[in-house]
Amino acid sequence: MLNTIMKTKLFAWVDRRTGAEAIIKSQLTEYPAPKNLNYMWNFGSLALLVLILQILSGIFLTMYYKPSAEFTYGSYTVAFDSVERIMRDVNFGWLIRYMHVVGASLFFAVVYMHIGRGLYYGSYKEPRELLWIIGVIILLIMQGAAFFGYLLPWGQMSFWGATVITNLFGALPVIGEYLQQLLRGGFSVGDPTLNRFFSLHYLFPLLLVAIVGGHIHALHVVHSNNPEGIDLTKDDEKIMFHPYYTVKDAFGVAVFLLIYCYFVFFNPHAWGLFLEVDNYVPANRLSTPAHIAPVWYLTPWYTILRSFPDKLMGVVAMGGSLAILFALPFLDRSKVRSARYRPVFKQMVILFFIDVIILGYIGHSPVSPMLKLIGQFATAYYFAFFFLLLVVPKFEKTKPVPEGI
Amino acid sequence: MTEETNDSRRNFLYLAAGGLGGVAAAATIVPFIGSMFPAADTLAASQTEFDVTTVGPGQQVVILWQGTPVFVVNRTPNLLKEVLGHDQMLKDKDSKAIPEVSQPWMNDKNRAYRSIKPEYLVSSAVCTHLGCIPGFKPTAGRKDWGDSVPADWPGGWHCPCHGSKYDISGRVINGSPAPFNLHALPYKYKNDSVVVIG
Repeated sequence: MLNTIMKTKLFAWVDRRTGAEAIIKSQLTEYPAPKNLNYMWNFGSLALLVLILQILSGIFLTMYYKPSAEFTYGSYTVAFDSVERIMRDVNFGWLIRYMHVVGASLFFAVVYMHIGRGLYYGSYKEPRELLWIIGVIILLIMQGAAFFGYLLPWGQMSFWGATVITNLFGALPVIGEYLQQLLRGGFSVGDPTLNRFFSLHYLFPLLLVAIVGGHIHALHVVHSNNPEGIDLTKDDEKIMFHPYYTVKDAFGVAVFLLIYCYFVFFNPHAWGLFLEVDNYVPANRLSTPAHIAPVWYLTPWYTILRSFPDKLMGVVAMGGSLAILFALPFLDRSKVRSARYRPVFKQMVILFFIDVIILGYIGHSPVSPMLKLIGQFATAYYFAFFFLLLVVPKFEKTKPVPEGI
Repeated sequence: MTEETNDSRRNFLYLAAGGLGGVAAAATIVPFIGSMFPAADTLAASQTEFDVTTVGPGQQVVILWQGTPVFVVNRTPNLLKEVLGHDQMLKDKDSKAIPEVSQPWMNDKNRAYRSIKPEYLVSSAVCTHLGCIPGFKPTAGRKDWGDSVPADWPGGWHCPCHGSKYDISGRVINGSPAPFNLHALPYKYKNDSVVVIG
């Protein structure tokens, strides 16, 4: 179909003025990709799909959502009521909101798989360091966007989540108090906070689009890594992106949409993982819910925060656990990329994945002395993983890497 | 397997998969565009009730129905006389040009008065030219209005935006830029004095 379009006179007219044909050919139809990519390489295109779905559903939700903490009747507020109006009165409002809610969680699920793939197959290594760093920036912006978005329904979890997280910044010495007021626009989370969070929740996805463009551009300069983690030099080791990977990505999209639709239509709350019951209680600044935890995709970092007995230490560790991702390409100096040929690293990285899941589970559960202890060990391994990478290449006996594929 | 059969099989699968994908994408548009139509609570507020007897003799009250203004006029016997006798000045004296200017409750008896009870006119207040609200100039002639109205002014409305003129039944007068009479509204009497619009 694309070929037919590219033969038309109209396309020729556009092409003479934009060079569209050369761009399409070099970036899509004749873009060479390794022929041995496995299904772990599907998550990049899925992340792009979810980003589009989130922006689309978000635009339509904004047509009815009202960012105001002003009271209506009882302890209800304009913002809370407008979300309930979307659920009850707006045509397909329930569908669009659940698409947005489920999309947020699946966005992180897809991106975490994407990051895990990069870790396991050494996709962060030379020459893809910058590609990895741009990816980490995308992760941070996503987490910010998710945090801002979670305040908008102005329920109990929204309010107390925002209170806790903005208090984190208050723990910083000297600037903390000012930073906190800057974020809140007041002495506590309130109407000004809701308005600025809404503004930023709309801004961040636009930033994401631009930075994702940079991520894809950077990818197309250095080209995809592959499961063997080797540089591909021969032409017969590569295949055209189209139709081979467009079809494979389309298959991945079909599988993803099945899962997405299951949650949207049959299980939008996902047993309290995607949407918490407490958030259907209007925000009440006089009473904190009995159990408060962030949504699942932020819980690993929440556990790291809780693992330290000192407030400032916890905040610094949580920030550090994300910041250390930037340093990863420079910590791991092994010349071999893929975990397939690094026996020690393979065990470390699999343990790291399990470790993050444990951190996430603990962050989602109410605190108990046992879980706290496990959380502290898990936190220790989280950081140890990165610093061990400095020394592992010195003693690790890597397996011989294949010449080609 | 020959090259040829392979191709036709591929083309079929390509078209089938692509076609279904296209149908799915098109179906996705439905909820998004659908969400932009009036919500259930907006539709629920689509009726307006009004007690017409609260309008004094000769007085006009402008109320809202579905967010647009509505004239309610208490026509005195003098004003009712103004309804007749100037048919040659009207573009559409029987309100038959377009469906919107007529209503099922209109019959040959009340067609000129354009109201269920002649003394209470309930009519759209939106000028059919470009949507302004015409000014109320009920009395005939220039006595009250000076030369802002023609010498043979039958009494009615005069739009401040582009000078469209309507008689006291909301029928558009020749020479106005407005193409049609003021729209007639779907209303009924709930009891002797309360009308329900919508």
